[in-house]
Amino acid sequence: MMTIIVVVAVILVVIAGSQLLKIAELRALSKGELIYEVSEKEGKQSGLLMLGFFAAFMAFFAWQMWSWYGLKLPVSASAHGVDTDWLTGATYAVITPVFILTNGLLFFFCFKYSYSSTRKATFFSHSNKLEMIWTIAPSLVLTVLILMGLSNWNKIMTPIADEDDRVLIELTGQQFTWTARYAGADKKLGRSHVTLIEGVNATGVDATDDNAKDDKLVKGEFHLPVGMPVQFVFRSLDAIHSAYMPHFRSQMNCVPGITTQFNFVPTKTTEEMRKITNNDEFNYVLLCNKICGAAHYNMQMDIVVESQEDYDKWLAEQKTFVE
Amino acid sequence: MTTVTLENTNYKDEIRRKTSKPLMWVGIMSIVMFFGGLTSAVVVSQGGGSFLTIAMPQAFVISTFVIVLSSLAFHFGLISVKKGNHTMAKLSVGITLALGLAFVATQYMGWVTLHDNGVYAIGSESTQQSSFLYLLTALHILHLIGGLVSLIVVLVKTMKERYTSEDSVGMQVSLTYWHFLGGLWVYLFFFLRYSIA
Amino acid sequence: MSTHHHHAKDFLFTYIFSTDHKMISKQFLVTGFLMGFIGLIMSTLFRLQLGWPGESFEMIELLMGSWQEDGVMAPDKYLSLVTMHGTIMVFFLLTAGLSGTFSNLLIPLQIGARDMASGFLNMLSYWFFFISSVVMLCSLFVEGGAASAGWTIYPPLSALPQAIPGSGAGMTLWLVSMSIFIVSSLLGSLNYIVTILNMRTKGMSMTRLPLTIWAFLLTAILGVLSFPVLLSAALLLVFDRSFGTSFYLSDIYIGGQVLEHSGGSPILFEHLFWFLGHPEVYIVLLPALGITSEIISTMTRKPIFGYRAMIGSMMAIGFLSFIVWGHHMFLTGMNPFLGSVFTFTTLLIAIPSAVKVFNYLTTLWKGNIVFTPATMFSVGLVSTFISGGVTGLILGNSALDINVHDTYFVVGHFHIVMGLSAIFGMFAGVYHWFPKLFGRMMNNKLGNIHFWITICCAYGVFFPMHFLGFAGVPRRYYTNSEFPMFDNMIDINVFISVCAILAMIGQLVFFFNFVYSAFRGPKAPMNPWKGNTLEWTSPVEHFHGNWYGEIPAVYRWPYDYSKVNANGEYVYGEDFIPQTTPLGDDEKDGGEH
Repeated sequence: MMTIIVVVAVILVVIAGSQLLKIAELRALSKGELIYEVSEKEGKQSGLLMLGFFAAFMAFFAWQMWSWYGLKLPVSASAHGVDTDWLTGATYAVITPVFILTNGLLFFFCFKYSYSSTRKATFFSHSNKLEMIWTIAPSLVLTVLILMGLSNWNKIMTPIADEDDRVLIELTGQQFTWTARYAGADKKLGRSHVTLIEGVNATGVDATDDNAKDDKLVKGEFHLPVGMPVQFVFRSLDAIHSAYMPHFRSQMNCVPGITTQFNFVPTKTTEEMRKITNNDEFNYVLLCNKICGAAHYNMQMDIVVESQEDYDKWLAEQKTFVE
Repeated sequence: MTTVTLENTNYKDEIRRKTSKPLMWVGIMSIVMFFGGLTSAVVVSQGGGSFLTIAMPQAFVISTFVIVLSSLAFHFGLISVKKGNHTMAKLSVGITLALGLAFVATQYMGWVTLHDNGVYAIGSESTQQSSFLYLLTALHILHLIGGLVSLIVVLVKTMKERYTSEDSVGMQVSLTYWHFLGGLWVYLFFFLRYSIA
Repeated sequence: MSTHHHHAKDFLFTYIFSTDHKMISKQFLVTGFLMGFIGLIMSTLFRLQLGWPGESFEMIELLMGSWQEDGVMAPDKYLSLVTMHGTIMVFFLLTAGLSGTFSNLLIPLQIGARDMASGFLNMLSYWFFFISSVVMLCSLFVEGGAASAGWTIYPPLSALPQAIPGSGAGMTLWLVSMSIFIVSSLLGSLNYIVTILNMRTKGMSMTRLPLTIWAFLLTAILGVLSFPVLLSAALLLVFDRSFGTSFYLSDIYIGGQVLEHSGGSPILFEHLFWFLGHPEVYIVLLPALGITSEIISTMTRKPIFGYRAMIGSMMAIGFLSFIVWGHHMFLTGMNPFLGSVFTFTTLLIAIPSAVKVFNYLTTLWKGNIVFTPATMFSVGLVSTFISGGVTGLILGNSALDINVHDTYFVVGHFHIVMGLSAIFGMFAGVYHWFPKLFGRMMNNKLGNIHFWITICCAYGVFFPMHFLGFAGVPRRYYTNSEFPMFDNMIDINVFISVCAILAMIGQLVFFFNFVYSAFRGPKAPMNPWKGNTLEWTSPVEHFHGNWYGEIPAVYRWPYDYSKVNANGEYVYGEDFIPQTTPLGDDEKDGGEH
């Protein structure tokens, strides 16, 4: 019944609309006008609307900043994240004025120069000087941004050398869970391969490899010591996943068949972050950020950052691979 | 005023003469990109290491000579047409077609050899490079079949002496494509020879 | 009897298997818009899920059947919708719909040719497109549902039906459809390039071409060079899926089994895919920019500012688009040095883009702007091109990309800079060239309403997405309710969804206007916008051949608007000088005084 009413209503609206359009056209014709020609008055109205739109657009922008800017991720919990956040801020400091100014000019010109029969448009077809200015100015700004970005990028992407004091963790993604493997006392991860997956050996660790014997497999949540560099190695068993740890400004794809790496230094414990965010239930999370299947939206693992002592205690409680 | 439509002018014929060669060239560009994509895929894949080598069958070497000869024969055919020597043209195009078919035959023999040596295109015993080897050669043959069809058309028209020293556009387009196929094979041959085999 | 037979045959060759570029253009337009409307409805459906996750919409069940059991969408069907929405919008609406329509309509008309180089190939191009559209739509109805690995169809997800049901028959049809689509696109591009290079009328030198034609030329070149690579990527995927080869697959354990594939790499697919994928962005965007350049110049009654710089920047964008694909892959574990190179090339694109924006602004400056709906959509395009473009500086910078990669920030960015800009360009083109397409005029008032609804709702949909991105919300999530950290985001999602629904309703205004005007709109004069280009010298009624008598010759560039002499009077008494007007003794060509 509802469907029929809707269909009838739509048909009526369409018919009424068509008739109205025809009438409007005929009325214009009877006045000796053509309906598709834009009168000067209409043009002025549109120009004014353009200016109004810009005002509304900026108000909308401001309103969003006011109500939603606070939802952004809290302050970075990793050392490099502070740098990239700063550079992101700097980039914003460049692009926000550009965004406002160019949009402003665009809509202002639309308002200012809407059609008038008494005015002539200015025949102005090119100016090498102007064009040079707006080729060179962006180039200079970009050079600075590129250089700062690259120095950050190279720092972040350099793996921590073996001999350094570091925590080595392998994160393995599979539909739709994560497994963390700690390198154990020898600080070396054992070999692993998908053909060795069997029962509790969910990521295919090679039991015959001496390095693997003291490795520790963890599910559900994993812990990190604060202030210690953490070297991650990523693997995937099936589709491509992406290990995204937004609070640490860290993300890397997990690709079946190859390993990838990322490292960072956690700088704030979970407790400290709970105070910063005023949220007693706050937890760092690892989530999947590359479409990997139906339950992609719920592939997570909690991360706990704690003091070295607490971390050592926790790690000691975890069973080694051979156990 | 009389209506000029495409049907009552000789515009269409003029356009055909003017644009068929450029159409072929742009088409060739896209085929180049197609094979470029695939061969760069081979290069990227090799970055992964563990690449076995496959012995290139002797038949592929013969193929290379066959297709180069066919290109020369076809070219000679066009020169003959331009000189108005129809007998020579017929003979050349006939030889080209025969060599083209011989090329397909040698390719087939190459695959037989590969297969006998335990190199498979698909299935659990295939490797990435064996699959690439079959795929690239097969795709070349697929494009060559188009060339053979156009060769047959050209042969029929040559037999009927349709091409003249003034108008031989159809033949030139077919020749361009045939040269391209020859060049493509030579490229693939050396590429495969030094990257896989 | 025989005349009746004749009529049936005439109908068939006039409307169905036409080789006339104008009819083919209309065919592309209508098919493209139909596909676009389907894509739009899909987006509204998944916005319902995102705005009100888990809520039951029983009305929708009517449309969705088992995809929406008890009124709630299933997670894998959500992914199907997202995938199909992306595919349809990017390829079917904005590639074939936009390029196919306007390249076909304008290339012969604006360069002064009676038709394309090969009408037959042109017809084939449309019919391949039609078949691929049908196959793509059919894939919605197969077992397991449509492809659901995202429009980028990264293997292994797209290769293994065990990984997601949509990677079964749905993915097979997706690949078949796209292969046909690529053939269609190549045939089209082939024709466009050769026609532009070889069939220009007397006097139409390359530097007298309208910017639309330059844009179509560069677009076609990008297409010819990049689509074959996508074809090769798809071909290898077909082999991996169906014949057990290992081009992309290696070391996979799924569903309790180890697969036999070994030695392949999904990264190879990403390289091949994005080698097309990035130029594709400009295949979508350049025609829209060309259309806008033309409309802005005509409607401001001013020459386009920096004609040569406009061409140069389009060339630079086209060239750079081939060497930036890696910025989609910063986080695939690529060599950091390579990442640096891609950052560098990517950010370089900002320079020609900035030149284009400033040139548009200068064209508007001191113009005499006539606000037709086409003008407004062109202005809208410049606005979205700016608003979406600036955030590219964040995403293109590899270090900053780490934190926003694959979040809603990206979704907001590319929808504004590529999606909105391209569709605004397409709308602008339809409003502007409707008289050439259908010989009738569209209604301005409805057009204005359509514009204001569209731009307000479009910004309403995509601007807030940046804030979701700041909060780290990943894209392609069926719901955000599984993470406490995203609980506060529901307000934003509701806001976006409401805007999306309104935007969809706004498009109905356009469709009504379009259909009504095509059949009952006021008859168009030959040159309603007082344009300079050649298409306005061809008669309103359509016939195969475009001009009665000789094809007009061209004597000047297309942008002599409001050209005045030393006394400050219009040179020929009007504020426009068609390209067919010979140069006066003291006149210079190409915008020189």
